[in-house]
Amino acid sequence: MTWLTWRQARAQLLVAAGALAALAIYLVFLGGAIRRFYGERIAGCEGQACHLARMDIRAGFDDTISVAMVLLLAVPGLIGVFWGAPLVAQELEQRTDRLVWNQSITRARWLAVKLLVVGLCGAAVTGLFSLLLTSSVSRYDQVVGGRFLALSFASRNIVPIGYALFAFVLGSVAGMVLRRTLPAMAVTLVVFAAVQLLVPTAVRQHLVPAVTQTVAVDAAVLNSGVGMRLNEDDTFDLQGYVADGSWSLDFSAPLSKADGSSYTGEDARPCLLPEDVEGGDACVVAQDLHFEYTHHPAGRYWTFQWLELSLFIGLALVLAGFGFLWIRRV
Amino acid sequence: MTVAIRTTALSKRYGRHLALDDCTLTIPHGRIVGLVGPNGAGKSTLLGLMSGMIGPTSGSIEVLGRRPAAAADQLARVGFVAQDAPVYGRLTVAEHLVLGARLNPRWDNGFAVRRTRERGLDPRQSAGSLSGGQRAQLALTIAAAKRGELLVLDEPVAALDPLARRAFLRDLLDFVDELGVGVVLSSHLLGDVEQVCDHLVVLADGRTELAGDVVDLLDAHHRITRRPGEELKLPAGAEVIHAETSGGESAMIVRSMRPPAGAEPVDLEDLTLAYLTRATTAVPAPAKEAVR
Repeated sequence: MTWLTWRQARAQLLVAAGALAALAIYLVFLGGAIRRFYGERIAGCEGQACHLARMDIRAGFDDTISVAMVLLLAVPGLIGVFWGAPLVAQELEQRTDRLVWNQSITRARWLAVKLLVVGLCGAAVTGLFSLLLTSSVSRYDQVVGGRFLALSFASRNIVPIGYALFAFVLGSVAGMVLRRTLPAMAVTLVVFAAVQLLVPTAVRQHLVPAVTQTVAVDAAVLNSGVGMRLNEDDTFDLQGYVADGSWSLDFSAPLSKADGSSYTGEDARPCLLPEDVEGGDACVVAQDLHFEYTHHPAGRYWTFQWLELSLFIGLALVLAGFGFLWIRRV
Repeated sequence: MTVAIRTTALSKRYGRHLALDDCTLTIPHGRIVGLVGPNGAGKSTLLGLMSGMIGPTSGSIEVLGRRPAAAADQLARVGFVAQDAPVYGRLTVAEHLVLGARLNPRWDNGFAVRRTRERGLDPRQSAGSLSGGQRAQLALTIAAAKRGELLVLDEPVAALDPLARRAFLRDLLDFVDELGVGVVLSSHLLGDVEQVCDHLVVLADGRTELAGDVVDLLDAHHRITRRPGEELKLPAGAEVIHAETSGGESAMIVRSMRPPAGAEPVDLEDLTLAYLTRATTAVPAPAKEAVR
């Protein structure tokens, strides 16, 4: 059965291997460029030069890296649509199920080999792409941060493997149930896209309970690129604070004074020194303000990677289980 | 007598359509069984149930003593060629033989290679470019080289021209002899199967109308012609299957263990037509009585 599966999938697997090889060459080249940039401009840099170099690495590589990321995000969808959906549906459409299911092999075994061989190839292609991308852009990630951002998180390390397996099994089962390739492709695309939207926006952050921590407003906080916003009720919110490498769940948080009451426009007036930014900041720091920071700490990155990989492999297994029940009555 | 196929009150329903209705059959092993009936009679459904491609809605079926397709070793015992002889269009003829060899423990590669060569199939040709007849030959070769005990063929000659039909069936007889397998083959044309079958099952509208060894069936049925004014005398237990009147003279097909006076033998075609006509002209029960 492995032979037949390989023979049927040969063309698409070779195309995928070729595309992966081309990508690998490009990513190695890109990785070299990023590392060179890092070695020349960022390693051991100081002061303003450092700041400029950080801006330059973004400006120089943002576009190419974004394209590679979007491509990596698309690969599981492509595998689901072009490898998963036709896997069984095409056999039903071309009625070759009547040939192959009458050889001395049960349908369950037939399906198991097909899912395993093609699914693992899909996982391998996606996984290799992801590891190549992750290692190529590691210096860029290190400088730019934000690895919990939805697009970055989903296009690094091990989670893409889970997406690929899930999309592939989803496509196969959709094909089995709908019995036609084209509708199965459409359903796979829609469902997979919906899951890929739903997980980062509504599911991922709840996989582990978030941590809420009281953060004092000091010079470091004020220099980290945050903003203060005066609300209509004359209270202040601190916006855009992200502790180093962590995943901030709220963009803005109310500012409180030491006694716990809200920081108001009245309180802020003495520190409004448009001519003297540093003096103004020092004035705010002296007011001993704090806010509640709800987040996932940086150390949870791999917890989330493993959890999400497990989640998608789990979904794939559940779908596959359904497929094995369904194929008996197709 | 070993039994190839035994069905008990077998039914298959597709939505509201009853494709096979309460079919109870016992088919002895080692026969060449012709399954005949008009299009939509339920032939493919019955063959699908035999091969295990589909499962029954109610009732039961046993093939060679076990539930069809129950396990890999049961699948190995039955070769099935579905209608239109599906093959993988992108695989070559030779690759189909590799497929057969990989997926069947009792695969007879010598037989498969010899047979494809004899049928003039080019091993390097892709199956998608074969003619209907060649495809049927390839599918039959794969099913036969499995070396099962029973071959189930759904409309194997439907795609062939009349000349090829004859050759296909003669060839089928030859290798059935060589392999010693039982065969069930269906057709909507009696003419296709009557040359080869020694057991006949007639299906109409999802019901079995007639089933038995051809010799027994021919023995038990008779043709009687009654002239106008003549009185009909039938032995006890005789049943009129079909009567046709033209110009006052009526011709009847009668089922009776003892031949009635003046009875002539019937052929398989008369017999099948009589049963199929009876099935399609839905005669209410009292009217049926009146015919007698």
